[in-house]
Amino acid sequence: MNIAVLVKMVPDTESRLEVRDGVLEESGFKYMINPYDEFAVEQAVQFREAGGGKVTLVALFSEATSIDTDLRKMLAIGCDEVLVLRQPGYRGDRPAANAAALAEALEALAPDIVLCGVQGIDYYQSATGPMVAHKLGMPHIASVTKLELVDGKLKAWRQVEGGLQVVETPLPALVTCQKDLTKVRFPALKDIMFSKRKPFENRPVPAAAGPDLPCTAASLPPARGGGEIIDGETPAAKVATLLGKLRTEAKVL
Amino acid sequence: MDPFHPYFGIEWYWLLGVWAAIAIGAHAWQVGYAVRLIRLGKPDDRFNAWPVRLREFLRDWLGQRKVVEDRLAGGAHALIFWGFLLLVSDVLDLGAGGMLAEFLEDIYLKDFWNLVVDIGYLMAGTGITIALYRRVVLRPAKLRGASIEGEIILLAIMGIVLTAFILEGAAMLSPDGAVVERNDWEPVGTLFAGFMAGMDSATLQTVVDVSYWLHMLLIGGFLIEIPRSKHSHLLGTIPNVLFQDHAPLGKQQPLQMAPDGRAVSTDELDVENLVLGASNYTDFSWRQLSDGWACTACARCQDVCPAFASGKGLNPMQIIFDIKDYGREHGRQLLAGETPDESIIDRFTEEAVWACTTCFACVDACPVHIEHVPKLTEARRHLVMEAAKFPEELQSVFENLERNSNPWGFGAHTRGDWAEGLDLKVGEPAEYLFYVGCAGSFDNRNKQVSRTLAQLMQQAGVDFSILGEAEMCNGDLARRSGNEFLFQTLAEMNVATLQEADVKKIVTACPHCFHTLGKEYGDYGGDFEVIHHTQLLAELREQGKLQVGDRGTTMTYHDPCYMGRIDGSHDAPRQALGGEIVEMHRCRDKTFCCGAGGARMWVEERADQRVNLIRAQEALDTGADEVGTGCPFCMTMLTDGLKSLGSEMVVRDVSEIMAGQLEA
Repeated sequence: MNIAVLVKMVPDTESRLEVRDGVLEESGFKYMINPYDEFAVEQAVQFREAGGGKVTLVALFSEATSIDTDLRKMLAIGCDEVLVLRQPGYRGDRPAANAAALAEALEALAPDIVLCGVQGIDYYQSATGPMVAHKLGMPHIASVTKLELVDGKLKAWRQVEGGLQVVETPLPALVTCQKDLTKVRFPALKDIMFSKRKPFENRPVPAAAGPDLPCTAASLPPARGGGEIIDGETPAAKVATLLGKLRTEAKVL
Repeated sequence: MDPFHPYFGIEWYWLLGVWAAIAIGAHAWQVGYAVRLIRLGKPDDRFNAWPVRLREFLRDWLGQRKVVEDRLAGGAHALIFWGFLLLVSDVLDLGAGGMLAEFLEDIYLKDFWNLVVDIGYLMAGTGITIALYRRVVLRPAKLRGASIEGEIILLAIMGIVLTAFILEGAAMLSPDGAVVERNDWEPVGTLFAGFMAGMDSATLQTVVDVSYWLHMLLIGGFLIEIPRSKHSHLLGTIPNVLFQDHAPLGKQQPLQMAPDGRAVSTDELDVENLVLGASNYTDFSWRQLSDGWACTACARCQDVCPAFASGKGLNPMQIIFDIKDYGREHGRQLLAGETPDESIIDRFTEEAVWACTTCFACVDACPVHIEHVPKLTEARRHLVMEAAKFPEELQSVFENLERNSNPWGFGAHTRGDWAEGLDLKVGEPAEYLFYVGCAGSFDNRNKQVSRTLAQLMQQAGVDFSILGEAEMCNGDLARRSGNEFLFQTLAEMNVATLQEADVKKIVTACPHCFHTLGKEYGDYGGDFEVIHHTQLLAELREQGKLQVGDRGTTMTYHDPCYMGRIDGSHDAPRQALGGEIVEMHRCRDKTFCCGAGGARMWVEERADQRVNLIRAQEALDTGADEVGTGCPFCMTMLTDGLKSLGSEMVVRDVSEIMAGQLEA
């Protein structure tokens, strides 16, 4: 069983976030693995542990090597090899172009199962996974919260509005993973150390194109005004002042 | 009148010889068994600094330095201990039918020897009486549930003492009960001779014979019992005290040491041959194992343990019992090189392993240098790095440390934001580097402390800079919680940053940064002079660079464990504060943990098991207006604790209190 996991590197949620002249300033970003993709990795490793085979992690990113440590951590969790597609000028908000580059690499791998997160926590487009499935001509199951491999078929549980849907698909297939799918393990030190010996391939790929949309403007949420701390001798006096302000100033009462 | 005659037609010395062979044989076999078990431990080279070790041995073992800190139990123990040292030669004499006494008479030492032995018996007898009074009449709470072995052994050695007096007295009597050879060098013996004088010949002979054989039976029985019971401490304390730890208290050992005396770097670790922490008996060093036989069950560690006091599943004394019992119970398997199904962590229980705050109160309290904490931190190393099994809360903490180098996960680039508007040097050369630490950089309350301290230093004309964004977590919480690899990664990066900035002297307001940077970074190539801000502030005050007036309030001071006890630095904050301090009943090196150490700050604590409530109550009991402290985590814990108790008592850092009373 060959399993490919698509992993996206997204800006760390605690990274410095600045917009200059309507353009997002990305130079200060630190990157981390998209958390939804970590669920995909864990699930793939569990399948491999149960039924053997190989788990290949495929990432598309720029030439920056600052992400390598995080990818190696996925090897420590149990992936067998990493393939990083190094694309000059890579951007995270072009799902069509990115799906094209990923699909091309996947074709050569001929995976039985492709797993990835339901969405990237950078642009929240939820598009790359389905697009890759389309390009590879595979069925696609979106936003899965439980996944089983039975007799060469995938059985997937999906939480939909007000209920649960269960679907089945023959292989090969692509599944995008929701956060309740599994719990990502913490690697033991020996796994971290031994992961350094696992294959880690950097493959240059040309820029790809697709029907993506250009970003015309970016802005941060307006800064919140300072709050007011209400003074008063007693709690009762404070409440009275607060009520007054809610009536006259905020006009919500 | 003596007992040295045939019994049932057999010479007394044959009978005694057989009994001695049994007793000494059983004793030696058991001691050998314990020694073989201890030798299963990993090497720990403490066979150095002999003059120092000898001096410590005389002070701590012969001198009973820490034993007598408990006046009643310790005093009784010292009397029994010294008494037996003085009298032990009498056992040889009685065993040899008085030959030692004859020899000593030839060299004119018999009288002196008689006196020494008699005093020895008297001291032992007095000590035993006090100890029995304590156990039977006073019955301190901590003895509840203790086995009755203590009382039985006390009665047995009391028997040894009394029968010795009877034999001393009888030796002064003729067969018809008249005092014929009154020996004033044995004052107590003379007294006993007086009691027995006038007995008829047959009764007297029976009393002497029974006393002699009871005396010998008890001594032999005690020899057999020593290695099996807590009385193994008679022997076990010898290697324990002689090979006490010479590293600074609380310093942990790196994963692997290179021949140059530094730690092997994370890139070069020999992973295949690396045992990560301890889950097996044989993963501990021999010195960790020998602790089991040195423990006397005095329960002083139990008395001072914050985890035990707050009702958690950890009793440091039990950990030491576990080491010994586990070894004895699985001894056959262990000696055959097999691994028992039950691991040593199973015996400790994981709950116990994670309850420790690494405050080192137990280690400090132990009169015989037992090292409780390393056993638990070694177990944590195994659980984190090998088994990946640890409190769930710690996983995100570890990830935050990896990603943003602080436990809360704030963006690493915001680390220097606390200093906004203060106009501090960042990364520039200066006399001191102010190492702020995570709490001082990110925690709102403690950011105020960082600002106050920076301003005080500016005011006093101290030349200092900060690292700003380039500073990282020192790694204390990773190390104390068993993630040694993460600690070492952080330590290596910090050492590189500090060396690049050409830092020589570091001042920090966090005792954990102080401990790790100053005492542990040396293994990773970082040799810096590290001082705590209370030490710097005391110096500035003394030099008159900070003019500090009277407080006008009453205050108490909470010594952070890693300063007051582990470093022993408890005068500095008091000098810095000046004026009168209403002390809590546990203070200075006997301070009581706030509950945050050992990464417990980031692990959930059950509401009915909070350590900080105990300490907050102790602060309240002083009746002072406010509590001073010198640690950001103590600050958080005490503030929360006081709030939970419904108190409005204020907690402030030493620097804040000083800043509030500055004169011009």
